[in-house]
Amino acid sequence: MKKMKYILTGILILGCIITQAQTPKGSVLIKNATVLTVTKGTLEETDVLVENGIIKKIGKNLTAPNIEIIEATGKYLMPGIIDAHSHVALDAVNEATAPITSEVRMADVVNPYDIGLYRALAGGVTISHAMHGSANAIGGQNITLKHRYGSGNPEDLYMKEAPRTIKFALGENPTRVHGRGNGIQPRTRMGVEAIIRNGFNEAIQYKKTWGAYENALKQKGANPVPPKYDSRLQTLVDILDGKIIIHCHSYRADEIYALINTCRDFGIKNIVFSHVNEGFKVAPELAEYTMGASVFADWWAYKFEVYYSTAFNAAILMENGVITSINSDSGELIRHLYHEAGKAQRYGELDDEQTLALITINPAKQLGIADKVGSIEEGKQADLVIFEGHPLSVYAIPQMTFVDGVKYFDIDKDPDDMRLKVSASEAIEPIFLKEHNHRCMQDVDFLFNNFGRSLFNHSH
Amino acid sequence: MNIRFNPKVFSSLLSLVLCFSISAFAQSDPKGERRVTGTYALTNATVITSPGKSISGATIIIKNGLIESIGNSIKIPVEAQIIDADSLFIYPGFIDGAGNAGVSKPADPERPANFDPSNPPDEIAGITPWRNVLDHYDSKNNQIHDWRKVGFTISQIIPEGGMLPGKTAIVTYGGKESSNILAQNSSLHARFRSSGGGRGMYPGTQMGMMAKFRDLYKNAELSIRHNTLFASASGVNRPEVNKTLEAFFPVLDKRIPITFEVSNDLEIRRVLNLQKENGFRLILVNVSDVEHVIKEIKEANAQVLLGLKLPNDKTANTKMEDLSDDMKARTQKIKEAYQKVLMQASVLESADIPFGFTTIGSNPSDMNKNIRLMIENGLSEEAALAALTTNTASMLGIQRFAGTIEKGKLANLVIMTGPIFSEEAVIKHVIADGYIFDYESKSKKDNGNGGDSGKAPNIVGVWEYTSDTPAGSSGGIMEIKKEGDGFKGVISYDNPAGSGKASSEMNNITLSGSNLSFTFNVAAGGMALEVSVNGDINTDQFSGNMSLTEYGSFPLNATKKPDQSNL
Repeated sequence: MKKMKYILTGILILGCIITQAQTPKGSVLIKNATVLTVTKGTLEETDVLVENGIIKKIGKNLTAPNIEIIEATGKYLMPGIIDAHSHVALDAVNEATAPITSEVRMADVVNPYDIGLYRALAGGVTISHAMHGSANAIGGQNITLKHRYGSGNPEDLYMKEAPRTIKFALGENPTRVHGRGNGIQPRTRMGVEAIIRNGFNEAIQYKKTWGAYENALKQKGANPVPPKYDSRLQTLVDILDGKIIIHCHSYRADEIYALINTCRDFGIKNIVFSHVNEGFKVAPELAEYTMGASVFADWWAYKFEVYYSTAFNAAILMENGVITSINSDSGELIRHLYHEAGKAQRYGELDDEQTLALITINPAKQLGIADKVGSIEEGKQADLVIFEGHPLSVYAIPQMTFVDGVKYFDIDKDPDDMRLKVSASEAIEPIFLKEHNHRCMQDVDFLFNNFGRSLFNHSH
Repeated sequence: MNIRFNPKVFSSLLSLVLCFSISAFAQSDPKGERRVTGTYALTNATVITSPGKSISGATIIIKNGLIESIGNSIKIPVEAQIIDADSLFIYPGFIDGAGNAGVSKPADPERPANFDPSNPPDEIAGITPWRNVLDHYDSKNNQIHDWRKVGFTISQIIPEGGMLPGKTAIVTYGGKESSNILAQNSSLHARFRSSGGGRGMYPGTQMGMMAKFRDLYKNAELSIRHNTLFASASGVNRPEVNKTLEAFFPVLDKRIPITFEVSNDLEIRRVLNLQKENGFRLILVNVSDVEHVIKEIKEANAQVLLGLKLPNDKTANTKMEDLSDDMKARTQKIKEAYQKVLMQASVLESADIPFGFTTIGSNPSDMNKNIRLMIENGLSEEAALAALTTNTASMLGIQRFAGTIEKGKLANLVIMTGPIFSEEAVIKHVIADGYIFDYESKSKKDNGNGGDSGKAPNIVGVWEYTSDTPAGSSGGIMEIKKEGDGFKGVISYDNPAGSGKASSEMNNITLSGSNLSFTFNVAAGGMALEVSVNGDINTDQFSGNMSLTEYGSFPLNATKKPDQSNL
């Protein structure tokens, strides 16, 4: 019985540590690194002092008492990599049952136990944009996650300072799921546009109705009847009011340009396009009217609408002044986004700073968090990665990854089994070829059944 | 406890029950089915009146469903049937915080021709909070018999269906003439279950269900505001009556709680978030991974029901020394995870969270074994008994008349041959609502006497079985062979994926006395369902139950084919 008490206390303490560890902030002094600040050039043999999760000072010969010192001579220090399009750490991805599901929140289904978070950390990724899938013209509200792996509380992973974002999707996915799958609108690209425009028009009516009600409440003796509440329309109102950034799954130039026009008609400026394989055809328009494009380095031809593609896409967009990022959309690619960025450099001959911006400050801009993360600057949050070798070299190996100054990955202390939670009833955990099917096919990923892509856990 | 109980409903129900029994007396009883007396005296027993309190050598007088008196020198009324309870132990009848024994799933309504899966009618989408579980309850179902046999006398029954299947009710497992209802609409039931199986219709995922729940809750609030306005002022448009929203009204004014089924700590957090946003009273049903959410459960003042099901020990037969270092480490983790599952009850107890039990998803024949496992893993016997009786009574708001053995309370008792939770103790009688149910334990007796039925039945051979499920009657063949000291077998069944028959290996075939149990896995709709079968053998007849954890349990009967190997 005594032994039992001991184990019990152990379990309780462990539970407490996991539940109470609310966004820990660390302090560390990294010495003599080649600091790739991304926004302020490369600083040789430079120290970076982190205090309480914030970059306090960048300079030479820094000292600080009672702070862990990490000797990084010959190593590279870069800002934590940011993935603007990911589905890691989510229990569900697609509420694929209606063409507009702006009421659903990915924050509700974050799974902080996902080993994918640790794998991303091992690839230097400190922030990912956990997105709704692309089944619906207007999908759910996304959540920006900081990879504070180890907490069992999803809220500990939320980047609470990040603005709200929402997923939109154009083209084949929404037309296949709803049009072909369920025989409802949208069946064509025209239908997708109509769904979005109708949604916004309804939202305008909704806002008007509630505005009238609230005004009437202020009048003495009036007995206005409350209108119906609709979080779907309310979210669209918030988009119209500029409170939410749209991240839109898209491939073709025509659909991209059409949505740019829709947004202009409704006065929406906060929009980022994802994938954007034909973005190079509408680069000037993307530069003028949007918050940029988040692309793949060289992934295409997995379905009809992605045949017209080029590995020069990122470089063409960037040279045209489009805020450009490279995303993973995958639990596998997220582990080596620095290679993906390197590919864009290999094809498009971008310089190092431009290339690193593709996976740091630019995705930060697209997520509305560039004032807090995305570069190594004094006053910013200390999300940092130490690399052996230049991160754009094919020989680069991430050594340590910090979020808020706390070390979450260290290649020298990297046990074989980093799972936080193990099933008592599965001796060997099942391996799913499709990432999101394991909850009784809650999602629709089986619709995207290209074997190769499924094998690599892609789910756009 | 801040649970309120509606005394009005109860007293009118009670008087209804009483009227019924009085009028029954006025009729003749040619078949002699009516019991001779409603008065019983249990004499000279050790009575555990409530967890931690007992009286030895006590007599209990029961009269017409109530405990009339209890003590050491009680005068026995002349009309009482005396039950000599010398050397027996009497406990308060167990209370199931949430169960589905006897509850069937209402038929799915037909989809309209112009069905739009993105905006389905509530009823098709599994949103039927107006439903009363009693409309789909069969008090004569033999699952009830199975749970009463292990000591349950009261259950809060939960409706079957989708994410908001309906309202629960509290029933006793009493005599067959009575309706046995203690309370109707005792809580609003909820769970993360989509009606369309994921992609079929809105809402299909947990995030969709949470969004839908929030909208319903908010609109129910607005609907009350509209109703109030219409009732108090002129010039107000007539409110549109919406039965879904109306079903939320008693939750909004905190008359009843929401019972919410959860399957892990993340789901507990999701439900607690909904509770935090909206402020309803909450009973979490079938909790697990509680060590991660102790603080949150306490802060929310949520009440907790723990499942009686425990997983099998998957590594029990693993030989660690034969494993590679990698597999050894992995196996060790599974062992620790298993240990944590066994310790859920003791974690709750040491965190001072009073919890009850739910029978959902569990098998009556595993109950004693599982509670003993929880006790071996740190749960105190007193807390275990409280979880079966007083805690649940308070949670359901029925502590005034149930949960302990006291004068004036309902006559719900469990009468055992030894102290509860001891391995050799068997239930001899269960008294529910004043009705006595006798349970002679065949296997234990057989083992003890070694009489003519002491020999284990021969199960090797071919059995033909039939089972009755709500989907209809089905059947197949079980073929059992001897293998070493144990058995192996194959069972065939109607293929759930199409026409014809499919078959599976029978696992964990265990024969103990005349009790046979085994499990098998069925692949249906991309998932593996574990079916467990348990029952008794009487020469060549097997009668028992087949249970599919989430879907309930159904009778299964089998007959052994004559051995034809000599022909």
